[in-house]
Parts: sequence; C-alpha cells; structure tokens
Amino acid sequence: MKELETNSRAVLAGIRNAFGLPALLLFSAMTGFGSFAQEQGLSLYMSMLSTILIWGLPGQVVHVELYGMGAPLIAVVLGVAGANARFMPMTLSMMPVFDDSPHNRRWNYLLAQMISINTWTEMLDRGPEIRADRRMAYFLGFSFTCMTAGIIGVLQGFILFESMPQTVSLCLIFLVPVYFGLIMSNTVHPPFLLAFVLGCILGTPMHMLTPEWGLVLTGLISGTLAYLMRHKLQVPWNNKEGNG
Amino acid sequence: MAETSAWIFFLSAVLATYVWRFAAVMISHRIEANHPIFEWFTCLAYGIIAALVARTLILPSGLLALVPLWHRLIPMALAFLGFYLLGKRLWVGIVFGETGLIALMWFNNGAEGF
Repeated sequence: MKELETNSRAVLAGIRNAFGLPALLLFSAMTGFGSFAQEQGLSLYMSMLSTILIWGLPGQVVHVELYGMGAPLIAVVLGVAGANARFMPMTLSMMPVFDDSPHNRRWNYLLAQMISINTWTEMLDRGPEIRADRRMAYFLGFSFTCMTAGIIGVLQGFILFESMPQTVSLCLIFLVPVYFGLIMSNTVHPPFLLAFVLGCILGTPMHMLTPEWGLVLTGLISGTLAYLMRHKLQVPWNNKEGNG
Repeated sequence: MAETSAWIFFLSAVLATYVWRFAAVMISHRIEANHPIFEWFTCLAYGIIAALVARTLILPSGLLALVPLWHRLIPMALAFLGFYLLGKRLWVGIVFGETGLIALMWFNNGAEGF
C-alpha cells in the first residue's frame, strides 16, 4: 500500500479492492433482501433506502419480517436493535484505526454508518498497512463501492428475483454464510478465533432460547470468555512459534 | 395513513440500528486508542457475527430453508476444506462450497425424480 500518496488515489484503491468478492457478496446478499422485501410488500424505494440507512442485513430482514406480520412498533424496534447490535462492538473496535488520521472527529459519526462486516474486516486487516491520513479516503472508497453493489442487488432482487432459476438464487444466498464463515475464521489472533468458534456453537441454541436477543447474548458470552482466556491462549501460540 | 405508518416503522428501524453506531463513536472518543477494552469489543463482534453465520446456516429464513440441513452443512464443510487446505484463497473456498451445493441439489433432484 505504498502508492496512496493522495486522497483520491486512496479512494481509488478502496474502490479497486472492493470491486470483486466484497462487492459481489453485497450484491448477492441484497438480491435476497430485495426479493424478500418485494414479497412482503415493501416499496422499492424503501427497500433501497433500507440498504443505505440501516446497512445491516439482519436488522433489515427483521424490520421487513415484523412489519409484514403487523407486529407492534416496539417489537420492530427491539427486534432490529437486537439483530444489529453487533455494530456497537464493531464500531468501537474499528474507531482506533482512524485515531491518527487528521479529520475532524465528527466525521466518525458518518464513517460509523458505513461499517458492515465486510468493510469492518477490511479495515481491521488492511487499515494498519495504510498511511493514517489516507485511511478515511480508502474506507470511503471501499464502503461506497460495497453499498452501491448492495443497492443494485436490491434493485435486481426486487425486480428479477422471481424469474431467476432457483438454483442461481440459492447459490447467491448461500454465498453469504460461506463468505463470512471463511473471512471471520481466518484470523491470526487466537482470542478472536475462539470467540468465533464459541459463537458458532452457541448461536443456534441461544437463538431458539430468545430470538430477539440471541445474537447479543451469544456475542457477550463467547466474546467475554475468549477475552478472559486471551493470555492462556497466547502462551502456547508463542511457544509453538518459538520452538520453530 | 398506511404510508405514514410504514415510514414510522422504517425510520424506527433505521434509528434502532444507528443508535448502536452512534453510541459506539461517542464512547470511543472517551477511551484511549490502545486500551485493552477494544480487544474485548472485537471479541464480542466476532462472537455475534459467528452466531449470525451459524443461524443463517442452521435456522435460515427464506429460500435456504427449502434445502435440507445437510445440503447446507456439507457444502459449508467443503468450503472450509478448500479454503484451508489449498492456500487460504477465498475464491477457492467459495467455489468448493457452491459446487458442493449445486452437486447436492442436482443429485437429490435426480434421485427423487423432480
């Protein structure tokens, strides 16, 4: 990442790196959302706005689902808040990436809106390689590309989904858990890997226990356990490296 | 009237998501960047996203619910095998997973004479 000498180059680098799997993934995921929203009677306009303004698929799905069922407003608010609560720890852990960057801190409230699993892992992995004063430009280029792909996905899902062969639709939807499963498990930091494994194991039973807060509870339990065990995890890890 | 209530529901959903991001930025401005608590936050995020992946795979809503559980689990296992055994290339994992899914659907439909 040596070539990022100006902000516009950083934006372009972000766009280039998003163009490919990250954008394809958002496109696929949002295709599924677009068709679901259409099925549930949401307008196309609102479905596309949902991708921009909520920008978190589980919450978007819960909103459409509960609204379609005629659930009360409080259920929609709690359901969406539970499904998208991950943005709190995600945003918190990403903000230090922008700490040495010269922009006014108020911009962070806008940057936070652009965070998704995709853009978050990208910035945690690649952020440190990028000059601190170019990170915001890179992040904006990357996330606007992902968001645009998502909006196109909603549009195509809303309009074309029913005429698409079911195998194609299934492959597009299946891409989402595969992609996230692979990128999240591929972390070099043992506590994060432990949190991921525990989350995979606990996720389903906790969801059956409490559908609204299952995600949050799973995250709290597995994340805290992994965090508390981080020193124990790192000792054998370092030894192994030391022994060659 | 129906229009207005749809917008109220929608904007509430928007706020219910943004409130997490907003609170996080506000809190982060009050903590040192290298504070160990950020590692805990990252662990929490990993846990939640893992739960999300497991839920999408095991208890999906929508189209994925139409295929049996083992049609989702076997391709997922294949994706992991392809990814970790063949040099951690993302596209290899995805090709393995998707090929597995297509093969299973094709085999199943053929066997049951769809």
